[in-house]
Amino acid sequence: MTINRREFIKRGLGGATLALAFEIGGGSLLLTPQQARAQAVPLQQLTADEAAVLERLAEALLPGAAEAGVTHFIDHQLGEDPGDCLLIAKYFQVRPPYRDFYRQGVAGCEQLAQEQFKQKAAKLNVAQLDQLIKMIGKPGTRTPEGYDLSLFYLCLRSDAVDVVYGTPEGFERLNVPYMAHIMPPEGWNG
Amino acid sequence: MAKTLEKVDVVIVGAGAAGSVYAAVLAEAGRSVLVLERGVERKLGDLYSSQTWARRLKWGAPHVVEDGPDSIWYNFNAGHGFGGAAIHHYGVWPRYHPEDFELHSRYGKGLDWPYSYETLRPWYDQVQKDVGMAGDAKKEIWRPIGDPYPLPPVLVSNHGKVLARGFEQLGLHTAPIPMAVLTEPYNGRPACIWDGWCDAGCPIGALANPLAVYLPRAQQAGARLQGNAHISRVLTDKKGEKVIGVEYYNREGERIVQPADAVVLCAFTVENSRILLNSANSHHLDGLANSSGLVGRYLMSHPALSVFGMFEEEMQNYLGATGGQLICQDAFPKTGNPNGAFGSRQWEIGLAIKPNDLLGIAMSRPDIYGNALHQFMQEGARFLGSMVGVCEDQPMRDNRISLAKDKDRFGQPLARVTYQVSEEGRKLWQNATKEGVDIFKAAGAKQAWHGPMAGQHIMGGTVMGIDRNKSVTNGEAQTHDLPNLFIGGPSVFPTSSSINSTFTAHAVAMKSAHYMANNWGQLAD
Ligand SMILES: Cc1cc2nc3c(=O)[nH]c(=O)nc-3n(C[C@H](O)[C@H](O)[C@H](O)COP(=O)(O)OP(=O)(O)OC[C@H]3O[C@@H](n4cnc5c(N)ncnc54)[C@H](O)[C@@H]3O)c2cc1C
Ligand code: SF4
Repeated sequence: MTINRREFIKRGLGGATLALAFEIGGGSLLLTPQQARAQAVPLQQLTADEAAVLERLAEALLPGAAEAGVTHFIDHQLGEDPGDCLLIAKYFQVRPPYRDFYRQGVAGCEQLAQEQFKQKAAKLNVAQLDQLIKMIGKPGTRTPEGYDLSLFYLCLRSDAVDVVYGTPEGFERLNVPYMAHIMPPEGWNG
Repeated sequence: MAKTLEKVDVVIVGAGAAGSVYAAVLAEAGRSVLVLERGVERKLGDLYSSQTWARRLKWGAPHVVEDGPDSIWYNFNAGHGFGGAAIHHYGVWPRYHPEDFELHSRYGKGLDWPYSYETLRPWYDQVQKDVGMAGDAKKEIWRPIGDPYPLPPVLVSNHGKVLARGFEQLGLHTAPIPMAVLTEPYNGRPACIWDGWCDAGCPIGALANPLAVYLPRAQQAGARLQGNAHISRVLTDKKGEKVIGVEYYNREGERIVQPADAVVLCAFTVENSRILLNSANSHHLDGLANSSGLVGRYLMSHPALSVFGMFEEEMQNYLGATGGQLICQDAFPKTGNPNGAFGSRQWEIGLAIKPNDLLGIAMSRPDIYGNALHQFMQEGARFLGSMVGVCEDQPMRDNRISLAKDKDRFGQPLARVTYQVSEEGRKLWQNATKEGVDIFKAAGAKQAWHGPMAGQHIMGGTVMGIDRNKSVTNGEAQTHDLPNLFIGGPSVFPTSSSINSTFTAHAVAMKSAHYMANNWGQLAD
């Protein structure tokens, strides 16, 4: 079988994007997480402080994740029924509501930032943030209460990868043919 | 007060791999069949090509509390909705080997099956013909005797070719991986186009998931499928001698009784035991079919690992099926392993890789972040190779499913899983880590590494056997205690082998379903 990579790319891409139904002013609008962020769609589940920490961490884990709307993606999914939720936390046996998992992750990072740097997590400088990420990224790192920070690292990093590389545009950036059988009708507006 | 519906011949609990086989065979035999499925009523057209969206195929609220030293990775392994976990399984379908059926009598280890490979062989042959399996029986030098595959083998891209070189260098063999994936159009289904979306579910039906083969057959023969039906208990008659149907909760939370002449539990490994234990009544104080005290015991999982390597050559790792391109079972002999480990191993070679998700490029090196991750993604998209090693676990009595204190929204106790990988399985896994990295280096990888131990496939809990004191069901997957209660799926396996469980689960279910059909008069009595 001969494989023509360019042909596959052409066939697979249709400029499709990850778009979700965001609630705005009582109505619902199909937006990509990136558009939702750009339009400052109000967050439904996360507080502004929590979102700031998540965004800062996710951006450090994968530059571009903030602009790609990682916090809007997470916020949107936290509002979904657990069965429909698209967050990878599901695979790791995290018990719903997943909102608690993210809240505790943010709280754990805040605690570490205070202990180590006497600073709020969202305000850490680049070197401090890097140090914090190294700490939470170490397998088995837990808060004194037993919350698994390394799992939080894994999930947030994966959320960042989802919005940056899990979309047809992300595939294109890697020059990987998307080759969809079916684009998700509601969530992808290809 | 529960609403009671009209009686049917057979209720099948779970519309996954095993349930679909029972439904097709029994409906085609003229039985009135109702399949009750806890999850959503899904169609092939709902299977979007996206690793992110594929997560909808997973349970949202697992009915399992895991508290043992190791995890069985329940949420990764289980699924829900029409098709079950099998809706997005990868279709890697080797056969169990003869020695897997006779572990105790041949080696003094583990358990025996109630029958030999020879007994199951015709059912494997039947299933592979039904689904249209692809492979090369001659090149699979380890393959037990069986009919040749109906279809030619799967695609081998550069990914497979490069990795095969490593095996060859070390004197190991490879063969096209046996797959329940169509390499040519077959029985009205189209051939695979090698886009690697199997993990999101194959919507064209090239992969033999339940929605592609047996559920349509069942429906055509008149079987009814109903979603959002959460079975809580199997009910028995007043004397506790026969089952008379099931109790379930519908989407609205109403309690409903569905009477039936026979019940087949196909709710996957953990849930099968949970339902039996939750069905305890005055005649069956420790749960149904549990006179042996073994319901929930001998839980097994395959200790598995991913091996990765960065190569200098373009791997075309985006091409092919998710389950891989080649297989190696040279490490199948159960004895004579380097560290004295008992049991078998196998390699699935050249899995199609996507950028994101659990088995994606990014997750292959979870320690990398920042700009280095972008660089890694770029490199990985072109040069990353991967394979998966699967190791045998041993059936251990103390690895078990019991009932947890926590309850679900219908007030039923959740399952509690206490599991530890067997020492033998752990040793095999260690051997695999070393061999895997050596193979990649021999294949020319610049860097080669392996991932952590993961649990693949879940088996046991309602094991089959000849002796009713040492097993839950007989060789027809019929419970020893209740003649019209049957159990389908890998939960009846007494041994795990290192073989992916779904082909064998189909063959076992096919045999059992034919037994039911042929002995219906006795069962419905
Ligand atoms: C990602 C992935 C890849 C895999 N790849 C392979 C592979 O390549 N080869 C292989 O051999 N195996 C593979 N497997 C394993 C395979 O999917 C399982 O072995 C198979 O699905 C088990 O069949 P089953 O019928 O027992 O369970 P399922 O197919 O899971 O069906 C069980 C059904 O029962 C339903 N159910 C559960 N509880 C209840 C209840 N209380 N009431 C009503 N319904 C209920 C569930 O919702 C589900 O739909 C893979 C699995 C996964 C997740
Ligand atoms: S690779 Fe083949 S089997 Fe897998 S989803 Fe695509 S067409 Fe289906």
